[in-house]
Order: sequence, then structure tokens, then C-alpha cells
Amino acid sequence: MMTGMDRIVAALNGEKSDRIPVFCNLLDQGAKELGIATLQEYYSKGEYVAQAQLKMREKYGYDNLWSLFYVGKEAELLGCKKIIYATDGPPNVEHFVISTYDDIAKLEIPTDLINHPAFAQERICLEILSREAKGKYPICAYLTASMTLPALLMGMDKWFDLLFFGPTDVRDELLRKCSAFFHQEVAAYRQAGADIILYANPFGSTDFIPMKQFNQLSMPWMKKDLQPGGVADVVYYCGSSRMNNVIKPVVEQLAIQTFYLSPNDDVAIGKQNVAGQGLTWGVINDILLIDWTEQEVRAEVKRIIEAGMAGGKFGFGTLVMPYKIPEQNIRAMLDAAYEFGRYA
Amino acid sequence: MLTKIITAYNEAVFDTDRDQALEIIHQAVAEGITPEDIVFKVVIPAMELMIKSISEDFDANLAQHFMASQIASQVTDEMVAKFQTSPHVVGTVILGTSHGDMHTLGKRIVSGCLRSLMIEVVDLGVNIPAEQFVEAALTHNASVIAISSMMMHTARSELGCLKVREILKNKNLEDKIKIVVGGAPYRWDPHLYQAVQADAWAEDGITAGKVIKELIMEMQK
Repeated sequence: MMTGMDRIVAALNGEKSDRIPVFCNLLDQGAKELGIATLQEYYSKGEYVAQAQLKMREKYGYDNLWSLFYVGKEAELLGCKKIIYATDGPPNVEHFVISTYDDIAKLEIPTDLINHPAFAQERICLEILSREAKGKYPICAYLTASMTLPALLMGMDKWFDLLFFGPTDVRDELLRKCSAFFHQEVAAYRQAGADIILYANPFGSTDFIPMKQFNQLSMPWMKKDLQPGGVADVVYYCGSSRMNNVIKPVVEQLAIQTFYLSPNDDVAIGKQNVAGQGLTWGVINDILLIDWTEQEVRAEVKRIIEAGMAGGKFGFGTLVMPYKIPEQNIRAMLDAAYEFGRYA
Repeated sequence: MLTKIITAYNEAVFDTDRDQALEIIHQAVAEGITPEDIVFKVVIPAMELMIKSISEDFDANLAQHFMASQIASQVTDEMVAKFQTSPHVVGTVILGTSHGDMHTLGKRIVSGCLRSLMIEVVDLGVNIPAEQFVEAALTHNASVIAISSMMMHTARSELGCLKVREILKNKNLEDKIKIVVGGAPYRWDPHLYQAVQADAWAEDGITAGKVIKELIMEMQK
């Protein structure tokens, strides 16, 4: 029987499997799946997250597993003491580790992340996922790039202040520390069993910053982040921001082979930019899945797949699926992806 | 001469070069342009030109929006302090992020943009309960409550905009106070503002300036 890993490997090699790979990023839904009352309780144990990931993948049949709890976890590894929990959406960083520039000098980067107490539950989750699914379904890890991590540590507007108006030596000290953290983190995830590193960097998109700053700041820091460990397992991801006009320089200068487009990117152009050198993912605007009819969901999946599937090296994926999406629309999306993404 | 200044100023803003933008303004003051003319004939027209460009599909990025609003509000603050008489304030807006939402950037862009358009902003901060929005609007005699949400669940929460609407309805304030919403979820679903029962929405922080100003003017008619 064909597995998710088989489909990914085939797509990367430009070969046909039974269908294109399909990634569905269900996270908070895991609590409901296990019948756990609150997201706080659900995210308190790596066992819960791993069990739910395995259960949801089995239930829906898509091709990936997540070791990600919530994005604020990275801030917790760096000293964040308070996370705000909701009943129907992802946890949010409430305590910012950096409130003054002096805090940047004091910020300590853990040197043995895999044994860090704040990483313990993720490690348990990765161990279970590896034991149950290694080699069959790719285990994804979400890592924030050095250019973007400061937003989790000080808030986006304070990071913009420092980035555009602040002293460059302080900015660079923070970026150096964030890049050092990325090196620790990527090594820990790889050691613990992650197969795919989703390199999350909205600052790698010109929706965030002008091309001049992309070239002068983002690109050099991406090189510093990624060069030590290589990019074979790295997926370029700008959150929901567009990436079509940076794909060529990213391929040329970083040698990244996999691009997870924004729903606002033109899929055909994205594929053209990747130019057969790697794998392109067409991504659905999953916020609209909350209110769409099943027919609308199906039509949009068809449109995305038809735009990118010809010639292979293509996958279909979601952003971080909002909790309020009804189950029938999750099924409608996946059924359509399996149907329209099938190789004849 | 003013057209030339506006063009040079906007070029600097779009190049995210604050020092250059400020130098253009200071040079204009040194050449005899009054602080009043800087605000009303340079900063406001420049902001309006920016709003127009963005509405006509000029592909401005987040850094440019941030820079435009911060520079404009900084120049406005600096110039207003030098005005011969107190400026006429167009109206007052209550601003904050919705219940459970800690994201500040969008709110800050909106605030800077509004202040440069001579609209008074009462910024309540983040994670604001619905009741506080309404109380502040009554205290400050504001005609608009602007609610920023960066997450889908905080935009749609029953404790957010929907609750503000419910309070306004129960207190018969719907004719006096309008609700404007903005933030990432609204960009991904342009009909979402209706689902959360807001009166209007804005696609970005700079456009929010236009939307809110028009709403205030309409209510003052």
C-alpha cells in the first residue's frame, strides 16, 4: 500500500505515485478528537498531541503528521512564561521575553535543546510519532526563521521598530541569537525524528518587506540559518504571505527545493518559478472553508490542482486549518484532493 | 513646490527611509513652509495619495504601511506642537485588539495613519473586553470603535466584535457608534466583517484611515 512518504519521495523525484501528496494541517482539532476538554490540557502532554496526530491522519487519510503544538512553543523555549489559551483557536504568546533592548543582551540561547525541560513534551511527541510512523508518513516540524522569531519574543510592532528604526548593533545581536537558536532547534528536531522542516519566515516574502531589504537582510540571515545543516528536508514557507517573486533567488542562493506557496500566489507561476528543480505546493485559503458549501470547497481544490499538477512535482496543502471548519468541509476538501490529484 | 515635496516625501516613505522623509520635511520648514501647511498640504495629501495608490492595486508591503503611518504621525505630532492655534480634530476613534488577541502591529499602523489625518485615537491596547470598547466610546464621545484581530478565532469570537454589537444594540447606540474591523482574517474572507456584524472593514492599516474618516464624516452629516 502506498504511504505518504512514498508519495512525497515520488513527487520530489518527479515520478508518479497513485496521487499527488496531500498535507492537511490539523492541530487544535486534536483535542476534540481525543475528547479532551481544553486546549491547555491537550497541549500539556506530548502523548496527547502524538495520539491525536496519528488518529486524525488515519481518519482522513492525508499524508503528513505534525510535531508542532503551537507556534508560541518556541517562545517558551526562550523563557516565555505566559501563553493565553482560547477554546476555539491556537494559543497565543502573552508574555514577551524581550521588553527592552537590555533584555536582548540578557537573552540566553539554550545549548542542549533536546534535553531542555521545555522541549520534553515535543520530544515525547516526536518519539511516539517516530515509533509509529517513521518512514511511512513524514513527520513535520515547524521552525521559525531568525528574521521572524523576534516577533514572538517582543511582539511584531516592537520588532518592526528595532528592525527599521533601532540601533543596528542591537538588531544584529538579536538576529545572531535567533539564528543560533534556529541551529539548536533544527538539530534537536532532526535528532528527535522530524523528516520535514517547515522553515517559517514571513520576512522571506516581499509582502512583508521591500525587495531591497529581502536581499540585504532576509537572504543573508536565511543563509546563516540554513547553511550549517543543509536544506534537503527544508520547506520554504512564508506564513500566508506570497513568495512567487522570491522563489528564483531562493533556489539559486539557498538551494531549497520545496516551496509551500501562499493561497494568494498564482500556482502556475509558482511552479514555473520553481522550474522543475523542486516540489511546489498549491495551498488553499482554508479560512473560507468555515463558511463555504461542499461544492465551493470542491471547486477550489479542483482549480488549485489543475493549475499545478501537470508535469508532477506538485502537492496540495492547507494553512493552519481554523478550528471552526466543519468536519464535512474537511472531508470535502480531502476527497476532492484525492480525486483530482489522482494520476490516471 | 508642494507637489514636489509630496512626491519626494512619499518616495522616501515607500523606500522605508525615515531619515530621508524627515529631512525633506525639515528642509521644507527651513524654506518657510508653515507647520500647518506641512500637515494639511503635505502629510495629509501624501497619506491620501498613498491610500489611493493602495486602493488602485499598488502592491505596498507591510513595512511600507508601517513606515508610512509612523513617519506621518511623527511629523504630525512635531508640526502640531508648532501650530499657531489648536488644530480642528475630525473626530475620535476607540482602537484596540479583540478579546484574546495580543497582536499590536496592525493597530499601530491604523493609529499612526489616523493621527496624521487629524483624527484623535484612544488606544485601549490589546485583549480588550467588549464592554471596555463601548465604555471608552461613551467616555470620549467617539463615533467609531475600531477592532483589530489577527487570528480567526479572535475575529469571530462571541466575546469580540459580536459582543460589542450586542452591547450597542442593547443600549440603543447603533446610530451613534459604528464598528470598523480589520486584520488578517478579514483579508482572507472579505465577507467576514458581515458575519461579525461590523459596519465596515479595511483591508490594511492605511486603508483603515480612509474607511474610518469617511464613516466619521458621514455620521457628522
